[in-house]
Amino acid sequence: MASSGNKNINAKLVLLGDVATGKSSLVLRFVKGQFVEFQESTIGAAFFSQTVAVNDATVKFEIWDTAGQERYHSLAPMYYRGAAAAIIVYDITNQASFDRAKKWVQELQAQGNPNMVMALAGNKSDLLDARKVAAEEAQTYAQENGLFFMETSAKTATNVNDVFYEIAKRLPRLQQAPNPSGMVLVDRPADRATGASCCS
Amino acid sequence: MEEAESYPPIDPSNFDLIVIGTGLPESIVASAASAAGKTVLHLDSNPFYGSHSASLPLNDFIPFIQSESQPQSRNLTSDDYVSTPVATRPLYSAVETNSYSSEPTENSRKFNLDLAGPRVLLCSDSMIDLILKTGINQYMEFKSVDASFISSADGGLENVPDSRSAIFKNRGLSLTEKNQLMKFFKLVQRHLGDDETEDDKISDQDLESPFVEFLTKIGLSQKLKSIILYTIVLADYDQENLEACKDVISTKSGISRLALYHSSIGRFPNANGAIIYPIYGQGELPQAFCRRAAVKGCIYVLRMPVVAILNDKDSGEYKGIKLVSGQELFSPKLIIAPSFTIPSTPNHDAQVANSDDVSLSDTKKVARGICITKHSLNTQVANCLVFFPPRSLYLEQSTSVRVLQLSSNVAVCPSGMFVTYLSAMCDDNVQGKKLLNAAINALFSVPISGNSENSGASNLSEHAEEKPCLLWSTLYIQELTTFQGGLDSISKTPMPDEHLHYTDLLDATEKIFKEIYPNEEFFPSINVSNDDEGGGSELDS
Repeated sequence: MASSGNKNINAKLVLLGDVATGKSSLVLRFVKGQFVEFQESTIGAAFFSQTVAVNDATVKFEIWDTAGQERYHSLAPMYYRGAAAAIIVYDITNQASFDRAKKWVQELQAQGNPNMVMALAGNKSDLLDARKVAAEEAQTYAQENGLFFMETSAKTATNVNDVFYEIAKRLPRLQQAPNPSGMVLVDRPADRATGASCCS
Repeated sequence: MEEAESYPPIDPSNFDLIVIGTGLPESIVASAASAAGKTVLHLDSNPFYGSHSASLPLNDFIPFIQSESQPQSRNLTSDDYVSTPVATRPLYSAVETNSYSSEPTENSRKFNLDLAGPRVLLCSDSMIDLILKTGINQYMEFKSVDASFISSADGGLENVPDSRSAIFKNRGLSLTEKNQLMKFFKLVQRHLGDDETEDDKISDQDLESPFVEFLTKIGLSQKLKSIILYTIVLADYDQENLEACKDVISTKSGISRLALYHSSIGRFPNANGAIIYPIYGQGELPQAFCRRAAVKGCIYVLRMPVVAILNDKDSGEYKGIKLVSGQELFSPKLIIAPSFTIPSTPNHDAQVANSDDVSLSDTKKVARGICITKHSLNTQVANCLVFFPPRSLYLEQSTSVRVLQLSSNVAVCPSGMFVTYLSAMCDDNVQGKKLLNAAINALFSVPISGNSENSGASNLSEHAEEKPCLLWSTLYIQELTTFQGGLDSISKTPMPDEHLHYTDLLDATEKIFKEIYPNEEFFPSINVSNDDEGGGSELDS
């Protein structure tokens, strides 16, 4: 789904990570500048778009949230298809969520497009006292696996926009669409029933 | 199933609705119920979405069909409830696979093969309306099916003149035929128009008569009748043998199908004709409805077999289900995929007793086939439909054979290959196989088994016109189920039907929803101004 015109790039971005690591909160912070302390685990939207301007291009992210389908490991292939970028999120206060993040990276490497830009985000960096995952450990893992790493806080907004800007910078500028692209259906009720049609 | 144990227990354990199976009808109901604010749990024993509506990698396709060709049963007991074991019945039979080259199987994961092919969408049909209404058009992309062909008397393929411009360009029709067809399309348009003049309307008597008689009456040639009946109106049975025809199409219904076809042309600016196909296969549809359900709070658990239905000890009423993990979950309503059978227990004869064998329609089956080749049936097009009307393949051919060829531009196969789906209605396996094999022989060059690798080149040169050579093929017979209505608490969804489109399946699905939730709207319109729903992502490409 990543395609480039002159300097306008459309890029599908997927979020992955365990339940309650703050995936939706990161998106809400980035798209709307909001933070909700007790974000319900499933929210009423799973598709956002936000545009980021970097030096030489305008990147329009189509951001897909998991809609809770990751809870029982039931994400559909549709979720990964054509993704140009992914943010894998863990909670720095939860070692298990970091271990699971590595599993998500493997899953992406198996299912996703090989040129995908991947970011590892250690979220909840405001909760320093409860830290269980050392930043160095995550940094090392990220380097070894071709991801870039940042610790973020959706609550304080630390590094949230930065993750998305960094992805925007790293997206290939003249990307061959990894998959065939087709038409997106858009209803145009006003234009309907023209030409040889008869219909209802 | 290996992974089932590692799941956390499902929480909560009470839902408004539990749905078992992620086929298209189950996925639509789960999505509609979630949209209506119901708490829904959606389970599937498979590791993939879509059940009998899925698109699968080549090496997963045959094992799935074979596993669904045998009855299975499981049992576990429950302390507090009467537990009825869940069993499955065979829905596919006579599976026959031929591999003439290892190339397709070596590229297994690049294939997305539809279990319920051939199937397409007409741009104005009710499924497209639902896709737009529910907003799942955000999750999917489509490509046009470039052309339709009908087999001609001399065994070749001729373009179907389905629109005014196609009539104009067509080379297979005489000038007289072109004029006849133009006049007929105009007649239909006047009939459906808003003008009040009675002269423009087709009489009630004609509307109730068989469409084939009406077409004869207005003087269309045999060829034109065939084109209209089998490629546009999509009739299954021989309409000119009214005694033997199991489904005679009336003029009224013929005209409404023609109108649907014509209103499909030009509905979307990027679509070339009336017909489109989803990129990555039809299995994207159940995934998209499930994703929408999840957005509205539905909980998804794949790889989770259900082993028993739990019934109240005294009343015998349905209460809940037991999972392979041992967990018991409860809901007032249950929806199950068509593969399940629930034998009645002494305590609750009435509830599900007559739900199974009765709904398997014993006279109708659909034969399906898939062929993989390296060349297109027509070098001008990548994706196309081909129709073999009754009696075009052999004299006793009583049903239409429909063919859909797809290329790698819809991401269903590796680049440089083509996937062709075939289907035909049949009474039994022998008849079904005969129909499909006749069409396969008309379209493809079939290597002689055993020495396929080296015989191809020399064989081909003997033919004046080269047909694409088969690399791999499979044929199977699928049972058709008819919707019988829900039984109190448990409703069963239908199998994908014999049609090229989803209209009937969608009607049946809406009925199931209305039976369990008579007071709820089937997908209330969403507020488009809600920017959370990603407005502004409307791309033409």
